[in-house]
Amino acid sequence: MAETETVAADHQRNPTGFQVFVVRLRRNLRTTTPYFAVLGIVLWLVVWWLLCEVLKAPRFEKMPGPVMVLKELLSPEPFLGISIFTEEFYQHVYVSCRRIFFAFCIATGLGVPLGLLMGWSKRFREYTFPILETLRPIPILAWVPLAILMFRGFEGPVIFLATLASLYVTTLNTLLGVDSIDESYFRAAGCLGSKPHHVFLHVVIPGALPFIFTGLQISVGVAWFSLVAAEMVSGDYGLGYLIIDAYMNNVTIPMVIGMVTLGFVGWGTSVIVRVVGSRMMQWRTRALALENR
Amino acid sequence: MNRAAMNPEQNPVQTKGAISIRNVTKIYDPEGVNVMAVDDCTLEIQPGEVCMVVGPSGCGKTTLLNAIAGFHSVTMGEIYLDGELLCGPSKPKADQGADRVVVFQNGALFPWKTLTDNVAYGPYVQGKLGKAESRQKARHMLAEAGLGDFLEKFPGEVSSGMARRAEIVRALINDPKVLLLDEPYRAMDELTKSIMHEALLEMYDRTRVTLFFITHDLEEAIFLGDRVVVMTTRPCKTKKILNVTIPRPRDYRVLSSDAFRQLVDETNEAVHEEALKAFEAGEREMA
Ligand SMILES: Nc1ncnc2c1ncn2[C@@H]1O[C@H](COP(=O)(O)OP(=O)(O)OP(=O)(O)O)[C@@H](O)[C@H]1O
Ligand SMILES: [Mg+2]
Repeated sequence: MAETETVAADHQRNPTGFQVFVVRLRRNLRTTTPYFAVLGIVLWLVVWWLLCEVLKAPRFEKMPGPVMVLKELLSPEPFLGISIFTEEFYQHVYVSCRRIFFAFCIATGLGVPLGLLMGWSKRFREYTFPILETLRPIPILAWVPLAILMFRGFEGPVIFLATLASLYVTTLNTLLGVDSIDESYFRAAGCLGSKPHHVFLHVVIPGALPFIFTGLQISVGVAWFSLVAAEMVSGDYGLGYLIIDAYMNNVTIPMVIGMVTLGFVGWGTSVIVRVVGSRMMQWRTRALALENR
Repeated sequence: MNRAAMNPEQNPVQTKGAISIRNVTKIYDPEGVNVMAVDDCTLEIQPGEVCMVVGPSGCGKTTLLNAIAGFHSVTMGEIYLDGELLCGPSKPKADQGADRVVVFQNGALFPWKTLTDNVAYGPYVQGKLGKAESRQKARHMLAEAGLGDFLEKFPGEVSSGMARRAEIVRALINDPKVLLLDEPYRAMDELTKSIMHEALLEMYDRTRVTLFFITHDLEEAIFLGDRVVVMTTRPCKTKKILNVTIPRPRDYRVLSSDAFRQLVDETNEAVHEEALKAFEAGEREMA
């Protein structure tokens, strides 16, 4: 009897998200996956180094090699003015991140409710879907002149442009998320006595969450994408500006520094979105963990 | 023979949950091609009865259940619940309500809610109980159904048998007049099924709610039911109604009794005849 009780107690205790994370990390370190990942990156760096600095292969001779870039990036007194020891570097990263933050928040704050409404109400979708579908194919760069006319200063147009693309992605994925909800959940909610706002709160929103977060991960990537494009056209700071500015001044190393930094910062933001997603969808995280995924 | 009537002193006779299906016809009309799923079906179900419905696949059983639940309209005829019109000519689609709760074939526990929250959902949204009280009651009822160790688990974390039990609890917490079950134990192995049957009978003993139970399993139908309604092939109407006179409480020894085997044979014959018709009709359609 005592034994069954302890077993019962174990069932009651659910692991926290962090515990799950640690368990997974440990399990992961025992598999080959992380080592291959590291090996992959190292291999890639070696190829880059060979091409640029050792073989000086055609078309690569103008490109700075990894050793040069790293040396500059890690030097306290950078030759070309950009390294992890200069304030300017952080200024660029900070400005870009701040813009992404605003753009992502606006896109999510508008796109998720919009998508939920479009998925939930047939009538609303009939009105809005054609608009979404005609605006969506217009490339972000085509919006640049209008954006500059519409907003003053540097921040307005850049944030507007970065928001636009993510807004489409978020709205569309949220809409698909609502569509993906099995009819039987609506029926179950109906015969348990729900009113429409209960259905919206307890079925439509949680049911669409997996799609919403898939959408948000794409959306944050798309936001970086259009942000850099926008910063190249109109900007005073930011990683996109750093790259285009280096190009204008004919120095390649800061350009590559900008690109590598973009890669890592962008990766970081999608990790954040993923972590928030799995925290908000414990039910899914735990069910997937049972399948060892 | 009504289960409640067997034990009058222990179980007062159930007075609510009478379903009356009168001349119901349902025609689906997708793409302008009429599909008659139910044709002039009439069936009276007593309060507290376990009414088992069997019939060939695709004959229109789910259609009938959905009409009672209010998931779709009927083309003709009326359905009453305790003398009250659910749907009829003036009102083709019944309102959905917690007096008729459905247990779905594939299970429809909300995967994003724990078992407790799933069960607490009904009383909470109907405003019958507050959040805390409904959760309290849900925990109590889940524990009663043997799920006390899984209160805070998500449906994805428990076995399908447990999930199905939790779903029945989620229906019963609303104290419904009728429980509508659409092949709830399909795709379950025999052992799990027999446990589920015991759990269902035990729950029925406590609540004596009217059960409208669709199944393909004839033994299950006879083992659980007060009456077994055999449906014709599409369009469906009642072909034959068998009274199961085996006394309750029933246990697994019943399965090998002569009376039971005879009922199975009888049902089998009726169902087989219809299945054959359905098959031939299918062949004609193919030709
Ligand atoms: N929404 C619909 N539109 C058109 N036809 C439908 C629709 N739903 C069901 N039908 C048709 O109505 C008939 C009856 O379907 P129903 O689902 O009620 O059968 P069933 O008896 O529950 O079958 P099964 O035992 O396989 O679950 C079938 O021939 C089916 O093709
Ligand atoms: Mg069916």
